[in-house]
Amino acid sequence: MKRLALLSPRQRQALFAALLMVLLLLPFLGIGQANIDVAANSCAYAALALGLNIVVGFTGLLDLGYAAFFAIGAYAYGILNSFQLHPHWNAAWAPLAAIGFVAKLGAGAAATVHFTFPFWLMLPASAVIAACFGMAFGAPTLRLKGDYLAIVTLGFGEIVPIVARNWSSLTNGAEGLNGVGPPVLFGYRFGINATPYYYVGLGLVLLLLFISLRLKPSRIGRAWMAVREDEIAAGAMGVHTTRLKLLAFAMGAGFAGMTGTFYIAKLQTATPDMFDLPVSIMVLVMIVLGGLASVWGAILGAVLLELLQAWFLPALSGWVQGLGNAIHSPFLQNLQLTSASELIFGIILVTMMLYRRDGIVPVGRNEVRLSYEQQDAAVSRGAAPAVARLRAGLAEASADARPAALEIRDLTVKFGGLTALKSVSLDVPAGGIVAVIGPNGSGKSTLFNSITGLVKPSAGVVRFAERDLLGLRPDQVLRAGVARTFQNIRLFPNLTVMENVLIGQHSHLSAGAAGAVLGLPRVRAEEREARQFVLELLAMFGNRLVPRIDQGVAQLSYANRRRVEIARALASRPRLLMLDEPTAGMNPAESLELAEQIAAFRDFGLTILLVEHKLDVVTRLADNVIVLDHGEKLAEGRADEVRRNEAVIEAYIGRGAVDA
Amino acid sequence: MTGTAVFLQQLVNGLSLGAMYALLALGFTLVYGILELINFAHFNVFMVGAFVGLIVLQSFGLQGQTVLLHGAPLVLALLASLAVTMLASGVLGVLIERYTLRPMRNVRGPMAMITTIGVSYILFNLVLLLTNAQALNYPDPMPSVDYHLGGVTIRLKAVIIWVVAAVLMWGLNLFVRRSRLGKAMRAVAQDAEAARMMGVEVDQVVMIAFFAGSALAGAAGMIFGLYYNFTQYSIGYTAGLRAFTAAVLGGIGNVPGAMVGGLLIGLIETIGSQYIAAKWADVIIFSILIFTLVFRPAGLLGAQSPNRS
Amino acid sequence: MVLSRRNALRGAAGSVLLASASPIARAADKVYHLGITLPLTGADAEAAHLILHGAQLAIKLANQSGELGDIRLEPMILNNATATAGQYDPAQAATNARKLAGTRTVLANVGPEMSGSGKAMAPILSMASLATITPSSTAPDITSPTYAGEFDPGGKPIYFRTVTTDAYQGPNMANFYAEVLKAKSVYLLDDSGAYGVGLANAFEAQARKKGMKVLGRDRLDPKAADYSAVLTKIAATKPASLYYGGTMQAGVKLVKQSYQIIPHVIKGGGDGILSPEMMTAAGFPAAEGWYGTNASPHVVDDPKLANWVALYTKTYGVAPDDYAITAYDAALVAIAGIKAVQKAGKPLTAATVRDAIASVHVNGLQGPISFDKYGDMTSHIVAVFQFHQDKSAPLGDLNKQMRYVGVAPQH
Repeated sequence: MKRLALLSPRQRQALFAALLMVLLLLPFLGIGQANIDVAANSCAYAALALGLNIVVGFTGLLDLGYAAFFAIGAYAYGILNSFQLHPHWNAAWAPLAAIGFVAKLGAGAAATVHFTFPFWLMLPASAVIAACFGMAFGAPTLRLKGDYLAIVTLGFGEIVPIVARNWSSLTNGAEGLNGVGPPVLFGYRFGINATPYYYVGLGLVLLLLFISLRLKPSRIGRAWMAVREDEIAAGAMGVHTTRLKLLAFAMGAGFAGMTGTFYIAKLQTATPDMFDLPVSIMVLVMIVLGGLASVWGAILGAVLLELLQAWFLPALSGWVQGLGNAIHSPFLQNLQLTSASELIFGIILVTMMLYRRDGIVPVGRNEVRLSYEQQDAAVSRGAAPAVARLRAGLAEASADARPAALEIRDLTVKFGGLTALKSVSLDVPAGGIVAVIGPNGSGKSTLFNSITGLVKPSAGVVRFAERDLLGLRPDQVLRAGVARTFQNIRLFPNLTVMENVLIGQHSHLSAGAAGAVLGLPRVRAEEREARQFVLELLAMFGNRLVPRIDQGVAQLSYANRRRVEIARALASRPRLLMLDEPTAGMNPAESLELAEQIAAFRDFGLTILLVEHKLDVVTRLADNVIVLDHGEKLAEGRADEVRRNEAVIEAYIGRGAVDA
Repeated sequence: MTGTAVFLQQLVNGLSLGAMYALLALGFTLVYGILELINFAHFNVFMVGAFVGLIVLQSFGLQGQTVLLHGAPLVLALLASLAVTMLASGVLGVLIERYTLRPMRNVRGPMAMITTIGVSYILFNLVLLLTNAQALNYPDPMPSVDYHLGGVTIRLKAVIIWVVAAVLMWGLNLFVRRSRLGKAMRAVAQDAEAARMMGVEVDQVVMIAFFAGSALAGAAGMIFGLYYNFTQYSIGYTAGLRAFTAAVLGGIGNVPGAMVGGLLIGLIETIGSQYIAAKWADVIIFSILIFTLVFRPAGLLGAQSPNRS
Repeated sequence: MVLSRRNALRGAAGSVLLASASPIARAADKVYHLGITLPLTGADAEAAHLILHGAQLAIKLANQSGELGDIRLEPMILNNATATAGQYDPAQAATNARKLAGTRTVLANVGPEMSGSGKAMAPILSMASLATITPSSTAPDITSPTYAGEFDPGGKPIYFRTVTTDAYQGPNMANFYAEVLKAKSVYLLDDSGAYGVGLANAFEAQARKKGMKVLGRDRLDPKAADYSAVLTKIAATKPASLYYGGTMQAGVKLVKQSYQIIPHVIKGGGDGILSPEMMTAAGFPAAEGWYGTNASPHVVDDPKLANWVALYTKTYGVAPDDYAITAYDAALVAIAGIKAVQKAGKPLTAATVRDAIASVHVNGLQGPISFDKYGDMTSHIVAVFQFHQDKSAPLGDLNKQMRYVGVAPQH
């Protein structure tokens, strides 16, 4: 599959066109109605897999009740295009009858309404209905950790078939719907012929494929993957995580709803048993097999699984039994591999997770070989375009806003019985650099977390540019102009350098899901611009990052990952940059280089709050140094003053000796 | 029966059901507390435990529906069976942890959860194939004694369940609070990194949690079999899902919370069946799950918030 | 997705499990097929195999006896369960129906087991004029004239049954409760499956007509284990009788727990509880006294049946159940149709065989079988049995562990 990634775009297009041609001609290859029907069912499952892939693959949310949305879409159409509901006719129905959504059955007082909502309308309508259910059920749980979604969806997946069984007047209960109407296209009524359904299914898959492929590299797709990779970092980079999770969940549900309508129109009946847990599990196996987050993988997984259970296992069973006959082994003669197919799929699931988490079609990742020159890290300063742009951005922001000063008063944070910060106050004047130092566990990271909305302080005030930050979500804090890095580097490990830094720009871009799918010129221009800005930002670090721009960040050196994280924070065009131990893990030369770069950030107007261990870096950069110990401010002053402070020396060296 | 008697009878019914859910909920809570992982395999470790218990009881000669042993030999045989079942289930849990979950320990996202679903599915289908999807009769070695208290019937079997469940839960609570390993367990639950620095063997603690949780699931499985007098491949799913709801209701990660949650879910199920309808029991229980998550995500007794980083 | 022609023939939906040649086949014989469509894997596999063997046995005996002249009949076995559904899958049933309709040598089909699959198959088979004879699907809708437009667009009945629909089994048992057992009140339970719900609905309607007091109706979750809450609720209403529509998945637990909570209430169900599991899993004494019905006359004492049971058991290594018998009869119906076409000298096609089946009279294991104009059996006899332990007989022997009570009153 790696070779597929090596094909040029034109070759890939040619391959796709050839494949599409084969699929379009499939019904004319004399394979028989039954096989066309199998192909149509495979389309339905491929569509389901594409939807679940958005939820599980892109966004990392485990949805175990996916079949429920399939059911909702199925019943939505099944009820609105069958004899299930037959209210008495009255004049109020006439307008609907005029446009063909209902028909009048019988005459006089006994006349009833026959629902005949058109398939082509119900296809998008079911998507909307299922998406609404998805939002209603997702909203309460999606603000919590992802795990809870798994169990809530499992419950939801149970409830929907139960309701379908028990609400007989609406669904005809366990007996199943009777006589769901087939689609009608330009007067042609799809009957029992499988071929037209196959083309509708193929069209559905192509549509959902197109949507998935367009979304994946868009602002929305990147934000989804950021949530999957590291929800906290995504929030800190301006992604409204709850809203994006909800969007993914609703969109997945919509795909399933649409597929449900298609499936039921083809089958012309629906029973609650068709939407039980195994369906959700099987679709999950499909996307795991194809590779989570891989769009083509989802389709391939669905097709492979269908082939596996429809053709390969029965054939293998036959061969094994044949072998049994040949060697007179009664065990082999009676072995029915098809009965064990669920077991086999369970084994596939576990094996893939343990040994091939990326699936059989891993998400393409270019392995870039760097030339010797590129590997040789020559540092060039300046990177004028980025600086100019950052400056311009800052000027624009400060023109109407108040000075970018951070003001913290009496900040207290408690974890259970433990007080992590006790009444800490500090000021970072606009354009200044303040460093916070202190031994491990003194509360430095807690300070950062409470400023950026990750931790809820029990008392105190945090103001930035005369605006209260407390109570804001992390993404709102970022929009207020505060960007941060993390002590233990929180990049999105499976994304490239480019993607990581692009996510930093999330709050400055405006493309929504619809814009990305439609490929609006505005959205394309915005995306081009954003990529250009990333290149300019990375140029600030000379050629350390530019040649590695399409590499996964997990492959980078520690120091380079720190640089990417800083670039990601800068990409949000902050006014206050908060760096948590930026030089940790760097050698003295690299630390010095970074310190110079940080000084340069100040020169073009950024305010900087720094947590740092290396005192030479602190001395070189900070106007003011604050020492924390046990959550309390121990000392404050210029770096050389603080270095001489008795209490500080005791806190560092005295206890340091004991701790060591 | 009077209205009050019916209500009290449903309370008694709910208590037995709840005791079983509580035992099962403890396994979820222990593992979640330490690894923040919802272990779907737990559902079917319980189910396998019921079958293991069946085999063990039969090997002790306790078969069919007749009372063969009496007095001390019966009690000893039952206790020995329970111990063997718990040991076997505990080992199954440890094997699952060691070979399928430990490699996933540091993998982000839903991967580890998906793995537990796969393991659960394997156990489920393995037993389905081995038993041909048939329900199996369970030995019924305990004397059938009923106590009648003002219109309410309490069966000896129910009393035994309450006692065994209480003893097991009390033992677990003591273990977690008092023993060195239990303390290590709580330390890992609070901060795995810090605990590691303090010299706690995290791998060992995780293993113990899986062993204890799975052993309790095995005990619940055997008690299930003895109480309901049957077992089948499908018993794990419904019971497991309700037990998980119980764990969330009580505050996931919280040992006493799981017990309280289990009892509550048992009571809700029987009272709901009485005054609403049995067919809506699942809907009621999952509504409670969702409302808990909306209004009190930390659960009734939970101190820790589920959305902590 | 692209299958080669060879593979397509071999696998199609891929569900052809086996089509083994009969050992006594003569080379010159022209081969025709009788489809058998059942959920052969997943949760229903065990029951489906018993049905499968019933139909297989009929085909085998017909080939051996030479009654088919110069043709040889082979089973075309199609599985309509999928791993994706975890059980029977109507979508796969529809695929199989297309496969059957598209294979010219297929003359008729035996199946499906579930009405959900039947609803998906019926319109396709109807358009192809291919008869299917179901040994166990009892939902009345499929053959009801009300839904003829949906399930029989071709206009001629193609859905025949060798079982009585729920429309008779439930009401006749209600008559039995009211007239023979003199039960004044009843509480109804079903297992939320199509079969159980339909049966309980039909019972309920007739029970009301007969003036019985219906004290309540509840639904069991077959996956749940504890029915004590429902049973306590039932006990509080003090019913004279309980009727359960459903199969043994919920039945095992219901029988066990009702023995403890409502021991003195008359209890009964449909053919779903006439299963060996009643003894092996629910067990005596809990099963003692339960009534069950069979949607066919009682013929177990007939020596013909005893020989047949012995032959079946010897051939397939398992004892047949009720549906193995109806499946055997279903295959007999198809074979009789084929013979009638041969006798009339018409060409053998699915359509001619369908026409012949519609007017066929067969002596099946359950007695004389013929069909009304909708495809349902003209005989509506429902036999009633009661479980009663016979310690001298094997526990799993259904015919020994229950006794025949009589024919349920028909009105």
